[in-house]
Amino acid sequence: MVRKIKDGLILGTIYLAAFFSVVLLAGIIVYVCVKGIGSVRWSFLTTVSSVLKGTVGIAGNIVNTLYVIILTLVIVIPIGIGSAIWLNEYAGKSRSVRLVEFTTQTLAGIPSVIFGLFGMVFFGTTLGLGYSLLTGALTLTLMVLPLITRNTQEALRAVPDSYRYGAVCMGAAKWYMIRTVLLPSAMPGIVTGVILAVGRIVGESAALLFTAGSGYLLPGSGEGLFHKIMESGGTLAVQLYLSMSKAQYDTAFGIAVVLLCIVVIVNFLTGIFADKLNAALRK
Amino acid sequence: MITKTGNIKIKTERLNLYYGNTHALKDITIKIRANAVTALIGPSGCGKSTFLKTLNRINDLVSSVRIEGGVYLDEKDIYAPGVDVTKLRRKVGMVFQQPNPFPMSIYDNIAYGPRIHGIKDRNSLDEIVESSLRDAGIWEEVESRLEGSALRLSGGQQQRLCIARALAVQPEVLLMDEPTSALDPAASLKTEELMRWLKKKYTVIVVTHNMQQAVRVSDETAFFLNGEMIEAGMTREIFSYPRDRRTRDYIDGRFG
Ligand SMILES: Nc1ncnc2c1ncn2[C@@H]1O[C@H](COP(=O)(O)OP(=O)(O)O)[C@@H](O)[C@H]1O
Ligand SMILES: [Mg+2]
Repeated sequence: MVRKIKDGLILGTIYLAAFFSVVLLAGIIVYVCVKGIGSVRWSFLTTVSSVLKGTVGIAGNIVNTLYVIILTLVIVIPIGIGSAIWLNEYAGKSRSVRLVEFTTQTLAGIPSVIFGLFGMVFFGTTLGLGYSLLTGALTLTLMVLPLITRNTQEALRAVPDSYRYGAVCMGAAKWYMIRTVLLPSAMPGIVTGVILAVGRIVGESAALLFTAGSGYLLPGSGEGLFHKIMESGGTLAVQLYLSMSKAQYDTAFGIAVVLLCIVVIVNFLTGIFADKLNAALRK
Repeated sequence: MITKTGNIKIKTERLNLYYGNTHALKDITIKIRANAVTALIGPSGCGKSTFLKTLNRINDLVSSVRIEGGVYLDEKDIYAPGVDVTKLRRKVGMVFQQPNPFPMSIYDNIAYGPRIHGIKDRNSLDEIVESSLRDAGIWEEVESRLEGSALRLSGGQQQRLCIARALAVQPEVLLMDEPTSALDPAASLKTEELMRWLKKKYTVIVVTHNMQQAVRVSDETAFFLNGEMIEAGMTREIFSYPRDRRTRDYIDGRFG
């Protein structure tokens, strides 16, 4: 009897905790949306802020955000997945492997402002890339690399050995086996890593403020979009930070709503892309 | 020695295998007849799986393995330098104890091997998929859901799917490592039936713990103990008149 009551109490507490965290999350999203939706007008999304024209808009920041997301992912995904494959499938259990694993783990715990400092000095000054979207993306690459590597590694580790043996017994070469069996099986884990990475990329301001800078202008043309890689550009999170520091809270909440939407859309697209990729890998 | 009528498909000569310092196979010399079922019996840990894995060189994946002696498939040494292991594994298929279909559709599972070996044409693949599934006696059960996931099949169906997958590359030899020990009795009987039928086209080598099964499905039997092959011959003879005492004790169920 006492036991039953105890069980009931524990269960009740667990439910309460779960309920609380869901309510908290939903509450934040609803609050941000209610406060911010008023600012999200068409002109807010399609113009850039200009004192002369008297407009307040974040079009440039939206472009920069998408730019940084794509650029970072393009750099980090091959490196992250490649090193996970190397660590798990080729390297065995040597000392150097443990060192690399330890390094990636440590990398994940470093505060982002330190990445910002390093990125600014190394990519910006030493490599001469200045304040640019490329400098920002390279800095973010270092920051989210552990997320991709760790998640891919975990996913590869969870693939049963019987798949590996099965494929090799059919005559598959190692890389063919990895491409057609391991990577598709590991894809859900890889997608998780990418989604977490996107979350960090869009939410990051400290590491970007002094690497990608805070430029908010739109590229003039298609070619301008190409040149933009070497130009300064502030993401939505950076702009959000700047708006807050200038006490422009309406704008800040408006940006927050747009940010949330972008996260949802990008995650959705990542899932679709992974499915397509899976189908292609297996052929 | 196994001789009698029929061609010799595989033979080993003084085959020794070491896992680091563990001497797992000791001087194994055996001849395995084509188009017959050969059963490997013996207590756990005596080297049956290890022996099987030398025949398709899947032991190559274990870095501590060292091999001495010869393994010949159709008189050719499969450990000779320059042997193409992909081709070897195409000729010598393998089925494991736990069914291990890939997490893909039934169709893609069967097409996996042919695709490795360069068959991309949809019509040819369709044909191979159907004939392999028919040969493995599972076509009727899966015909209508070839695009469904192989993981949703029952254990017995998964095992026959794995057999079909091995058959799809038109092997000459089929290695089966305790293929029924993870299956229920009905599925086991189905798989046994299949083995008896498969020997018409293939050379089948099956590891089994189950003495009755060895009697039911095999033509020849080899008895392993502590890494040695104690005795081999016609299944009927081994089980009726074992020459070695240890063989007799084992098949009488005195150990193992
Ligand atoms: N990968 C391995 N590394 C080291 N020793 C192994 C390995 N695989 C098997 N062995 C050893 O080799 C011997 C034979 O094993 P195995 O061939 O699996 O026996 P069986 O299939 O007859 O049960 C056992 O002593 C086992 O411990
Ligand atoms: Mg075994």
